[in-house]
Amino acid sequence: MSRLRRVTVTSPQTAVVLTARRGGIAVPPPRLTESERERAERIRRTQLRWAAVSLSGGAALLVGLPGLLHVAPVLLAVRVADVPVAWLAVAVLPYPFLALLAWWQLRRAEQTER
Amino acid sequence: MIALAALPVILATLLIGARGVATLRSTSDFLVASRRISPTLNAAAVSGEYLSAASFLGVAGLVVKNGVGALWYPVGFTAGYLLMLVLVAAPMRRTGALTVPDFAEARLGSPRLRRFSALVVLVIAGLYLVPQFTAAGQVLTVVGGTPYWVGVVVAGASVAITLALGGMRAATYVQAFQFVLKLVLFIVPAVWLLLAVGADTRREALHPAEYSRFPAATEVQFRLDTRLEVGEPITVLADGVPRTLGPGEHVAPEDGRWVFPAGGRVPEIRGVALPGSELWQRPLLDNGSGHPLLATWSVLVATALGTMGLPHVIVRFHTNPDGRAARRTAAITVGLLGTFYLFPAVYGLLGGILLPELYLSGATDTAVVALPSRVDGGVAGTVFTALLTAGAFAAFLATSLGLVLALAGAVAHDLLPGGLRRLRVSAIVAAAVVVPLALLAVRIDVGAVVTSAFAVAASTFCPLLVLGIWWRRLTPRGAFVGMTVGLLSSAGVMGTSLVLRPEPGLTALLLGQPALWSVPLAFLTMVLVSLADDPPPGAESTMLRLHLDETRTP
Repeated sequence: MSRLRRVTVTSPQTAVVLTARRGGIAVPPPRLTESERERAERIRRTQLRWAAVSLSGGAALLVGLPGLLHVAPVLLAVRVADVPVAWLAVAVLPYPFLALLAWWQLRRAEQTER
Repeated sequence: MIALAALPVILATLLIGARGVATLRSTSDFLVASRRISPTLNAAAVSGEYLSAASFLGVAGLVVKNGVGALWYPVGFTAGYLLMLVLVAAPMRRTGALTVPDFAEARLGSPRLRRFSALVVLVIAGLYLVPQFTAAGQVLTVVGGTPYWVGVVVAGASVAITLALGGMRAATYVQAFQFVLKLVLFIVPAVWLLLAVGADTRREALHPAEYSRFPAATEVQFRLDTRLEVGEPITVLADGVPRTLGPGEHVAPEDGRWVFPAGGRVPEIRGVALPGSELWQRPLLDNGSGHPLLATWSVLVATALGTMGLPHVIVRFHTNPDGRAARRTAAITVGLLGTFYLFPAVYGLLGGILLPELYLSGATDTAVVALPSRVDGGVAGTVFTALLTAGAFAAFLATSLGLVLALAGAVAHDLLPGGLRRLRVSAIVAAAVVVPLALLAVRIDVGAVVTSAFAVAASTFCPLLVLGIWWRRLTPRGAFVGMTVGLLSSAGVMGTSLVLRPEPGLTALLLGQPALWSVPLAFLTMVLVSLADDPPPGAESTMLRLHLDETRTP
């Protein structure tokens, strides 16, 4: 077990806060350099844009699909391999859709940080 | 004897937990396994922890009770991890905070907010934990005939011991192991059931007929006082005594054992769809409200947005080494959960036609473990009942481990900061408090109570995390007022509706499942109060830092 590297007991933020509380002094929050700030701002904006796309996809599934099933009860009568399409839409379809969306979002998010 | 199937699961849990003891030295080890877990192992652990009794038993039970629309629950559970991936995982990991209250203080610098968040953790974890133990007691009662308290106490004791010994390092291995276990123990019996029932039953499951007349003399043991609406006169054997019920409303007493005659018309229960009926087949959740679309959306909002606020899920992402690994964990989890959730439909649809009388008794949560013996009275049925029981026990254990850990963390890390010793003691105390609560809560519906925990999480921690990570103007006062409003409009309103018991309808829907309006209300309050306030100094840098990937920062 000795080959395992040991890491700090408390999180950095908690350490700062705890020190401040115990010592009764205000510790200034960590500052970002100008270039870091610009980079962080840029990443945040790009991530928000991709997030908006993924969230729209999620909303289409969670808000749109129940709406569609509500207005089109005929989907219960249409059958694929003897299973009503409306059942497949709830029991099967969402999972590959969510997995694809997650994979796409992961790639976009990692590329943004490259 | 079948109850003994849970034994290997408990023993394996304890053994793997004990293995963690050797390496457990610090608070960080206990709470976050010193942040050294790989994305795939962690995703398995996240899924293992997340697939609770509500997923293993509850979803199929809700299908028997409410119809095909109940399959929206697992969709929401899975979508929660997509939202986690998109909005929360990586930045949250980069705060370095160990718990949600820790995040609140790190981002907004307010110790008061931290203590308040810790109280919210207690509410959510309590709402989530009690039904897990309840389910443990119920399942052992059904398959083994043991008294209810045995299952509850056994589950409580094994959770407390594992945690007190091994902490999160133990929990990670235990849960990753249990994910695989649950996946196998859920899928293999499902495939066997599909093959064993034969082509006729398979066809019947896809073309369900309304359960309007008893096909044979049927014994029903009512789990609760149940109001039956009798359409045609029917003579039942109520605890052995013949009794004729005229048309109208009759109350079957809790624990009453009634035998209904073959060919008799099945009594209806207001607000619950008869299995196989047109309402039951419709792929939307109604819950007797008459507003299926609103009811479905409400469940989806609660489950999808609530996932990110569940304290035991959040803490898991801190066991990853960095933000990028946390994000990968979330993405892999979406795939793992999606695989598991393809199967509750099998149990639900088969349960709807093979065990429709559960609709009357109210014991729908036991549908999964009751199916094998209904399909095959011989050895195979017994073996598969045992396998499913073991899987169900794995489900309670894994989820309860994470929840008790989150509870212990809230008490010993956020409310009364102390060392490792206090954490260990808190874990045992948390289990000791929850067991008596679960003993009292024998009547609850596992799926429904778990969903209320999601609603509370979605109305409190979801706005805190999303706004805290993406919006620089969030202030401590805004977060505090917003979370208070969210807590009152979710937990407060649901509690009120339990007392008032409104008639099924729109009001009952909005009070019983408030997520549809309580989440936007909490967001709005948080934004408006923050806008009227000044953000703390340095808040902008604190927020921006969350979006800097760690490879570039020194």
